[in-house]
Amino acid sequence: MKTRFLFPYWCRFLGYALFIVHIPIVMFRKNIGFDTNAPLDHGLFTGHHLFFMATTLLMAVGLFLAAFSKEKIEDEQISQLRLDSLQWAIYVNYLLLIVSLIFTTDTEHILFLNLLVPLVFFIVRFQWKIFQNNRLLRKDENPS
Amino acid sequence: MKNNIRVERAIKNITQADLADLIGVSRQTINTIESNRYVPSTVLALKIARVFDKPVEQIFMLDDTD
Repeated sequence: MKTRFLFPYWCRFLGYALFIVHIPIVMFRKNIGFDTNAPLDHGLFTGHHLFFMATTLLMAVGLFLAAFSKEKIEDEQISQLRLDSLQWAIYVNYLLLIVSLIFTTDTEHILFLNLLVPLVFFIVRFQWKIFQNNRLLRKDENPS
Repeated sequence: MKNNIRVERAIKNITQADLADLIGVSRQTINTIESNRYVPSTVLALKIARVFDKPVEQIFMLDDTD
């Protein structure tokens, strides 16, 4: 089946790798010399801004690649599942966005949440459904 | 929508994997169609019918809820 706007299959692993790499960098930022609790110098292209930009880009690109890479066998059932999961992800994202807009004024974290939630929820939901399908298939093939 | 792919497969003596290979989809897709969890597109329905050499209506039928 012809698919548009999807990365090759191997991009999934690259995506997960980028995402995993970004976690220790953010966790040990003090050790690397980027203490985000230090008084912030607001402005573009300062050390803090560059660090934030680099790690956030690493995470976002990683999740993006993991979310939108092809499956081993692309067919219409998978595209349907993908579309379904995307709809769920957008619903959940907007629900959270609205709730957080009402109950907090912390716009920086709202932005971060908005960056993370749709892709993460999409990946989890999509892969969970594929896992369920595989389990049902195995049950069907060996009904013992 | 109901279907009798399982029966037709038994008559032709092919597995879900064989059918999947013949029409170029995954085994999961055949499985979801057989267990009525996924309604295939017209193209896929026609391809399945061609494998069994029967008209589509003999393989896929409308359900009461459709």
